[in-house]
Amino acid sequence: MIEVQDIRKRYRRRDVLNGVSFNADKGEITCLIGVNGAGKSTILKAVMGLTPIAGGSIRIDGQAPGPKLYERIAFVPDRLTMPTGMKLAEALRFMEDFYESWNSERASELMRFFGLSYSDRVGSLSKGTAAKFNLLLGLGQDSDYLLMDEPFSGIDLFSREAIMEVFTSELIEGRGVLFTTHEIGEIEHLIDKAVLLQDGKVSRAFDCEEMRSGEGKSVIDVMREVYRA
Amino acid sequence: MNTSGGWKEILFNNRDPVYLQVVRHFKERIATGQLLPGQVIPSRRELGGLMKINPNTVQKAYKEMEEQRLIITEGNSPSKVTNDTELLNQIRSELLGEAVHAFVASVRKIDVPIDELLLLVKRTYEEAPEA
Repeated sequence: MIEVQDIRKRYRRRDVLNGVSFNADKGEITCLIGVNGAGKSTILKAVMGLTPIAGGSIRIDGQAPGPKLYERIAFVPDRLTMPTGMKLAEALRFMEDFYESWNSERASELMRFFGLSYSDRVGSLSKGTAAKFNLLLGLGQDSDYLLMDEPFSGIDLFSREAIMEVFTSELIEGRGVLFTTHEIGEIEHLIDKAVLLQDGKVSRAFDCEEMRSGEGKSVIDVMREVYRA
Repeated sequence: MNTSGGWKEILFNNRDPVYLQVVRHFKERIATGQLLPGQVIPSRRELGGLMKINPNTVQKAYKEMEEQRLIITEGNSPSKVTNDTELLNQIRSELLGEAVHAFVASVRKIDVPIDELLLLVKRTYEEAPEA
């Protein structure tokens, strides 16, 4: 389980995170929802140790994050961070050298599934293709957890469908997935838990199926209550 | 064996629990003969992929159907639709009952004499092309 406990962060004299707490379980898909600038990406970066936090704690399966633990958590940032001049084949080689947990067999399977070409250069990929390759770099790791920043935003319908397909496949099964989004729409039925962020805090956190059976509300209904109030 | 036909067509609403909607969909398929007694149903992972829903949700739906004895899973073999004819008939009357209730509830507001209504139903039913 990823446990985020009362984390705080100030940036340019603004409380970006003002005591955020939530859990993300293994074997479940947890979605961090919030408008742009709500601090979603900052939370993921904090879990990955990419940005310092001013207070609170982050634990993964009871342990404080560290280099060893990052072999067990894959992070897919909101854009591809590989050098633009690299060929995809070179980028895969880079991942293999860098991560002990890299699974080349799965990576080549995904290259085929997404229809990517090894000889293309990172810088020449279209937005949708870049998003797929970016996701591949995360899924290629044999990790217990997978963090993704806005995997569905700003890409075409078919790329989105391909990525959604990954979410319902054995590639995700058993892993703990935590991803951010600012629009829920078509992914409503993909997620187990929703965590709604507002003003640097968690305003609601719930199990989506329980919300539907207990209160007869969709995730979007709850979002309306929170963000339109 | 083709177990994947037609599973994509289902449209979920956002407000009823998805797993119950899956269960209902199975009942409809059984009642309409699209799923036969003893027929093998898709694996959990397969169905999740086909319906584009979370595998945990499918798992929950299958568990619910196992509890209702709608499907049977023995050991590691794939799940099958029950052969229990009594249960199968029960599903049919359950779905029919629900549909009739919904119909009556919406017609009651219009306050129409029962004879006139029955006649209308009969005519529409006979005229309507089979869905």
